[in-house]
Amino acid sequence: MAAGSRAAGFAAAAGAAWLAKRALRTRIRRSPLWPLPALETPVSGHSPRRTLRATVVARTEAADGVVHLRLASPELPAWTPGAHVDLLLPSGLVRQYSLCGDPAETGTYEIAVRRAEDGRGGSREVHDRLAEGAEVQLRPPRNRFPLEPATRHVFVVGGIGITPVLPMLRALGPEADWTLLYGGRSRASMPFLPELARHGDRVTVVPEDEAGRPDLSFLSSAGPGTAVYCCGPEPLMAAVEEAAPAGVPVHLERFTAAAPAAGRPFTLELRRSGTTVTVAAGESALTAVRRALPDTPYSCTQGFCGTCQHRVLTGPVDHRDTLLTDEERTTTMLLCVSRAEGDHLVLDV
Amino acid sequence: MSNTQPAPVASERIELKARNVAFEWTDTPLHWLPGHPFATHTINVLHLLLPAGERWFVHVYKQALPLITDDRLREDVIGFIGQEAMHAAAHDDVLPHLRRQGLDPTPYTAQVDWMFEKLLGDRTLPPGRARRWWLLERIAMIAAIEHYTAFLGNWVLNADELDRRGADPVMLDLLRWHGAEEVEHRSVAFELFMHVDGSYRRRVRTWASAFTALVFLWQRGARFFMENDPTLTAGRASFGQFYRAGREGVLPSTPDMLRSIPRYLSRAYHPSQEGSTSQAAAYLAASPGANGRAR
Repeated sequence: MAAGSRAAGFAAAAGAAWLAKRALRTRIRRSPLWPLPALETPVSGHSPRRTLRATVVARTEAADGVVHLRLASPELPAWTPGAHVDLLLPSGLVRQYSLCGDPAETGTYEIAVRRAEDGRGGSREVHDRLAEGAEVQLRPPRNRFPLEPATRHVFVVGGIGITPVLPMLRALGPEADWTLLYGGRSRASMPFLPELARHGDRVTVVPEDEAGRPDLSFLSSAGPGTAVYCCGPEPLMAAVEEAAPAGVPVHLERFTAAAPAAGRPFTLELRRSGTTVTVAAGESALTAVRRALPDTPYSCTQGFCGTCQHRVLTGPVDHRDTLLTDEERTTTMLLCVSRAEGDHLVLDV
Repeated sequence: MSNTQPAPVASERIELKARNVAFEWTDTPLHWLPGHPFATHTINVLHLLLPAGERWFVHVYKQALPLITDDRLREDVIGFIGQEAMHAAAHDDVLPHLRRQGLDPTPYTAQVDWMFEKLLGDRTLPPGRARRWWLLERIAMIAAIEHYTAFLGNWVLNADELDRRGADPVMLDLLRWHGAEEVEHRSVAFELFMHVDGSYRRRVRTWASAFTALVFLWQRGARFFMENDPTLTAGRASFGQFYRAGREGVLPSTPDMLRSIPRYLSRAYHPSQEGSTSQAAAYLAASPGANGRAR
């Protein structure tokens, strides 16, 4: 009698234990760290600086000396017109190329690269080593040349500078008010002319061997509500900036980093501390800030570890790091390498 | 003579600097320790925990800097912060490689992200005592965790069995570069804790939470990898496998791990008493990843 009820109790306990174990296993299978919840937007493994891998699935000649590559991979994130990617070349060189394909085509990117014989070797490597079927590594797209809404868009491009503008034209569509002035050395050297032909007289093609340098005087009549976009060689961009009237925003995209301008002196207001420090030409913003606030965190002093990232309240920043994303650049800077673009910055320090 | 004061070994101190590393994962196989998925995945748990964990270290230590009144210690903490930031980034880069091989770590890492960003984050505390208490508590937890990272760093620098079994050279370099920097800076977290607080009760309490959390995270992590590995049918993780792998020398041995517990809890403990800075420095001088030769 007593033995019978003990056995029944034992069986019930064993059954309950088995059920609990099974329930736990099901939960852990669905949620590996159950009972912890998950962060809604995962951070680890989704770094905006992670390395993506893709395959060259098509390679064509877009013009004399210009190769047009189509890269494909399920890992490629979405992008917006004006974006560029860092291509990590097999030799270890890292080069930036604008995406010139269609953002709606998920899983593929297109880039066009002009061979620069006198360059630093990046474009030669793309031309010589990236055949169809080659594996490439790249970083997720960044956009330093985004298309902003405006009543009228004026594009001025030189040569291979056409690449970031192509997706912009597609995004604006046939209804929008835009014009494109496209300069180059000769028709044979200018990529994507057939594709641009269908836009009719909104596109003006100016090959230097036929028509000389493009005339930019029309820019002076750009009215309010116009946005000017320019991508091309440095002298062209300087001329466009010069020709556009005050009050008309000019957006520039540089292929090559602006010559590492020797640091100019500027002042830094540390808003929360209520002081202002002067950054001399030969020192970093970090050095100047640390004179006033010795506890300011920093570490590598070369722009790669990210410890000295600080919030910027006002003033354009000349970002010289290799770390921050576009989003981070809109509100923060790395004090160890970056400087003021003008002569004053306000930090939330 | 009393031996209840932490006794640092002066010769083990070295100037700390962050190294800008690069690793190329293209050729690293899923089971980078050939024929030993369990040991591979148990070590792989590091890639799940360290990106979020080391970002958290950096976040907490930035807040700790103003509490430091010793210039030499401040320099050490600054070097530590930079090294930890690079560790987080280097391990983070392994995660997309695992995903490419059919083992998406996101379900696990998103929960680790929650733990470090929310559970152990800043919380909305009033300035003053509560906020200071929570900062000191986290500084003490980091000291306890760093006892184990130094233990693991020292282990991996001496784990010759991994070489003998043909472990992938890039993965081994990542682990040994990281391990060597952990050995190099092993005293910083403990010295910071002793400098800002040093309470023995807090040391024991935070050790207990850190140790429990590490056992929980590791056990679940190994299990997660073994059950989701696309090349294994009915993969499982068990303590028995861990114990045997420790005896074989492909994972730290269980008795060694148990023996490290009373060492941290001893009142005379100082991290410089374990591990060798010169061995770490020698590895760092030769590491391909830390010297720009990974490509």
